[in-house]
Amino acid sequence: MTTGNAGAAQAAVLDEGVASVAAPAARRRTGLHRRQWSALLYLAPAVLLYGLFVLLPALHTFWISLFSWDGVTLASWVGFDNYRRVFTEPLLRSSVLHALVLILFFAVLPILLGLVLTAILSRHRRRGMSAFRVIFFLPQIVPLVAVGITWRWMYADDGAVNQLLRAVGLGSLTQAWLGDFDLALVAVGLVGTWTLTGLTTMLFLAGAAKIDTALFESARIDGAGAVREFFSVTLPALRGEIGVALTVTTIAALASFDVVYVTTNGAPGNTTTVPGLLVYRLAFTDGKVGLASALAICLTVLILLVVLVINTLVGGQDRR
Amino acid sequence: MGRMQRPARVVAMAALAALVAACGGLTPGSGGSSSSATTASSTSSAGSSSATGSASGSDSASGSGSASSGSAGSSGSGSASSGAPAVPTAVPTDTIELKMAFTDSPDMTKALADAFHAKYPNITITTQYTQFNDYVKSLKLTMSSATPPDIVQYNAALKDLSAAGLIKDLTPYEQAYGWDTSFPKSALDMLRVDSTGKILGTGKLIAVPAGLSLVGLYYNKTLMKKAGITAPPATLADFEADLEKAKAAGLTGLSVGSLDTGGLHLWGSLLNVLWDPQAQRDWVNGKAGSTISTPQALQATQKVGEYASKGYFPSSANGTSENDSATAFAQGKSVFHINGNWAAAQLAKALGDQVGFSVMPPATAGGKAVGNGFSVSYAVSAKTQHPEAVAAFLNFLQSPEATKIEAEGGFLPPNAKAAPAATGVLGDLVTANQKVVGDDGLIPFQDFAAPAMLDALESGLQSVIGGKEQPQAFLDSLQSVWSEYHS
Amino acid sequence: MRATRGENVVGYLLLALMTVVTLVPFASILLASLHAPGTLIAGLSIPTSPSLDSFRRAWTAASFGRLLINSAIIGICVVPLAVVLATLAGYALAVLRVPAGGFFFRLFLLGLTLPVELIVVPLYFDLRSIGLTDTYLGVVLAESALFLPFGVFWMRTHFRTSPRELVEAAQLDGAGSFTVLTRVLLPLAGPAVSTMAVLFFMWSWNQFLLVLILLQDPTTRTAPAGLGFFVGQYTSDIPVLCAGTLIVILPIFVVYLLFQRKFISGMLQGAVKG
Repeated sequence: MTTGNAGAAQAAVLDEGVASVAAPAARRRTGLHRRQWSALLYLAPAVLLYGLFVLLPALHTFWISLFSWDGVTLASWVGFDNYRRVFTEPLLRSSVLHALVLILFFAVLPILLGLVLTAILSRHRRRGMSAFRVIFFLPQIVPLVAVGITWRWMYADDGAVNQLLRAVGLGSLTQAWLGDFDLALVAVGLVGTWTLTGLTTMLFLAGAAKIDTALFESARIDGAGAVREFFSVTLPALRGEIGVALTVTTIAALASFDVVYVTTNGAPGNTTTVPGLLVYRLAFTDGKVGLASALAICLTVLILLVVLVINTLVGGQDRR
Repeated sequence: MGRMQRPARVVAMAALAALVAACGGLTPGSGGSSSSATTASSTSSAGSSSATGSASGSDSASGSGSASSGSAGSSGSGSASSGAPAVPTAVPTDTIELKMAFTDSPDMTKALADAFHAKYPNITITTQYTQFNDYVKSLKLTMSSATPPDIVQYNAALKDLSAAGLIKDLTPYEQAYGWDTSFPKSALDMLRVDSTGKILGTGKLIAVPAGLSLVGLYYNKTLMKKAGITAPPATLADFEADLEKAKAAGLTGLSVGSLDTGGLHLWGSLLNVLWDPQAQRDWVNGKAGSTISTPQALQATQKVGEYASKGYFPSSANGTSENDSATAFAQGKSVFHINGNWAAAQLAKALGDQVGFSVMPPATAGGKAVGNGFSVSYAVSAKTQHPEAVAAFLNFLQSPEATKIEAEGGFLPPNAKAAPAATGVLGDLVTANQKVVGDDGLIPFQDFAAPAMLDALESGLQSVIGGKEQPQAFLDSLQSVWSEYHS
Repeated sequence: MRATRGENVVGYLLLALMTVVTLVPFASILLASLHAPGTLIAGLSIPTSPSLDSFRRAWTAASFGRLLINSAIIGICVVPLAVVLATLAGYALAVLRVPAGGFFFRLFLLGLTLPVELIVVPLYFDLRSIGLTDTYLGVVLAESALFLPFGVFWMRTHFRTSPRELVEAAQLDGAGSFTVLTRVLLPLAGPAVSTMAVLFFMWSWNQFLLVLILLQDPTTRTAPAGLGFFVGQYTSDIPVLCAGTLIVILPIFVVYLLFQRKFISGMLQGAVKG
């Protein structure tokens, strides 16, 4: 799920090619294959819980999405009409669009920043890195609701962001950030950038640390500067890490709910609505449970598609 | 999901249908508790494409919880309102704890609960406050949970829940206690709803009022003087001239917080004074053929945009919450503020004699006093274990003790004759309330028109304030929400 | 490689800048929370007479004591349940020969990408129909199920990298599959299991959408859900709001400091919240 590890999923897909060849041989040697049916007992509890609380509700969502239902009275069958509405109604369509814009701030920006920082920081070992790491991970462990409230205050009329702008002589730029039609989505997106940049940076630094130093040496002997060294050595080596980071952060963008819920709740106008927010709103306050379910299904399909695309793009050549 | 192959999906759906048949609680339509009729109709829908089903099951939930009045018949249409069996009016003497969820006037609500406890020490009422926006958002979830609060402050969302049998029909208690004579008729009629849950003003009684509410204009006398304004505005034109004066004096005219409510009160009040009250009521109540796409509503909406572009209220309105805008007015940051009587106690505490209240100035001099208002009223969960104790509390709302508390809370008590004389802004409120009631000018809140209306109003008004949406487009969007719900 | 002096300076300057950017928001709420309740503050401002009154006010106004206990109860139940199930399943998929193991594994993999939004609507109606909304049990089961895909994947990966010779040797001694797991593999799996456990605890603690819907009774709400409601009530009282926020952050922050290595290694291996 969103809390789970999508990066792992990607790694797993990469891993599969190897596993399917190697594992059966290994198992045959262990001689455990005779006990195969009892092995199901180990698997059953997890499958049962997962099936009952994740897979079945997922199917049920699809089922509900075929009805017009207010959540209390009888439902009526509408077939795929709810899906038509997801694609045609401006409110629903724009929420998906906003989620796509958030990818820019949740995924692209943190990864670019992470790469720049890695380019500068990875060339040499530094003392005190473990302390920095503890700090940079901090936004990751804090509940997103708390992150949202914190930034709501940061962005407020008399919050720290405006205070800072005034301090550096940009007082004319101050405003209620979350109330501005053109900037609210950007402001919410930057909260994502703040939350995820530490993660991507640390991920890339860990990846860069694994690079054989000989590669750097030879690049330097060839007369490569810092820039060329980064593009010819570091960046290619980080391919896997970039894929993981991209998967994780993109899902975070598409399935965002917590931060939007507490900062803007979709306002102003509907400029910051995201699918997660509308699923909640449609199902539990507006009495459009079927429509909410259709949107949830569309969101999921979108996420699966994006993960698939990222896997193909980044994972393609890693398959040995 | 999306990539599941066709046969697999068929199998999955067949399995699901089987499971549905087995547990009877998984398909839409079954509401809370299941009934065999619901299961049958929804299972059959797996095969055929029409699943509208019969009207049965719509009241399936009313069978759960306490012994409810009226027979849980299968027709689902108003069985209780006529010939309801007598219910006891004796107040229970055993120790009882009631839970109460509410959103308006924390001080008054707490005082009412305490006063009731003082009168009947064996009954304790625990109050749970939730801020308005969250309250509306979570109300349906709260009331359909397994352990809903016994007493719940009325909101339009309860109409639908009453159709689903989750809200107690209070008509039998009305007859037993004789509320039809001890409460004003108009106040009770607002709280009646038909069996579909969509048409108001008729059918079973689902809540009892603790006081009438009213939205109007608060003004800061000190700042008025500073801006050269001599008296509260008598007409809308005066009001706009005053806003211009305030601007000229370097003051903020209006304090508006549209972050969470879209500046609903400003728009609603303008609408109230510009459009025919009965047409407004019909629209909110869902009378067939009503529309808000009218020249008057357009004018009201245009004014909101105009006030914003002229700087009559701060450009940060869309980033300011309703609560914050009241606080700003309380801190003397604006000359005027449009809000409900529930804010009176807080404002009186902060501003004392400096603050006054009047009805929204009418469009023409001597025009009728109108305003958005409803009542702070309380409904009862169908699942309550203590219907008699709850009914005793509702009856208590028109007692002299309660009347005093309600008046102090800034409300016009249901038992107006017993209200103590009030001074200051609270006195202004009583005067305004009486004027509006006298002119038959009370208009229910626009967001009551449909469950999705509040969201549409909020985002639409923010857009109008931000200059991002044309007033006519805004009204059209409201009307489409209305039509979808009332179709 | 030795850094040149210039590179070193630039590097540390960047790290310092990033530290500041990361910490300023936290500093902002910490400073605000130390003001007296109701104080009007502007941005980062140091309180002239710091007080804990806002914390006291927040604590009683939102019954954070109750909320924190609820969160703790749910977390403490989710962790062992999800850990045990994930370990058993991971073991089966990695070491034993399970019929249709590949299918089951793929099923779990799918779960890694499914958003909570997909399941929360029917989950609410289904759980309500069997009386599991507003109960710890319902949330514990749902959260455990949500965390299982990661857990199964994580433990499977771990068991696949465990030395096979040990397993084979144990089998030659006649050990059954359960004995192999408990006597041979688990003693070596300490770090993997504990890393998974702290991640589960964190995800459970931070879960919002699910509990916002499944727990309606204010007495069963968790700390983040309670905070979500609290923010609506205290929009204008910044010190109290910030104090409430810190109260919710603090427990997970302490757990993070205690187990920082596990958190960081877990998250660096891709296990991040979404």
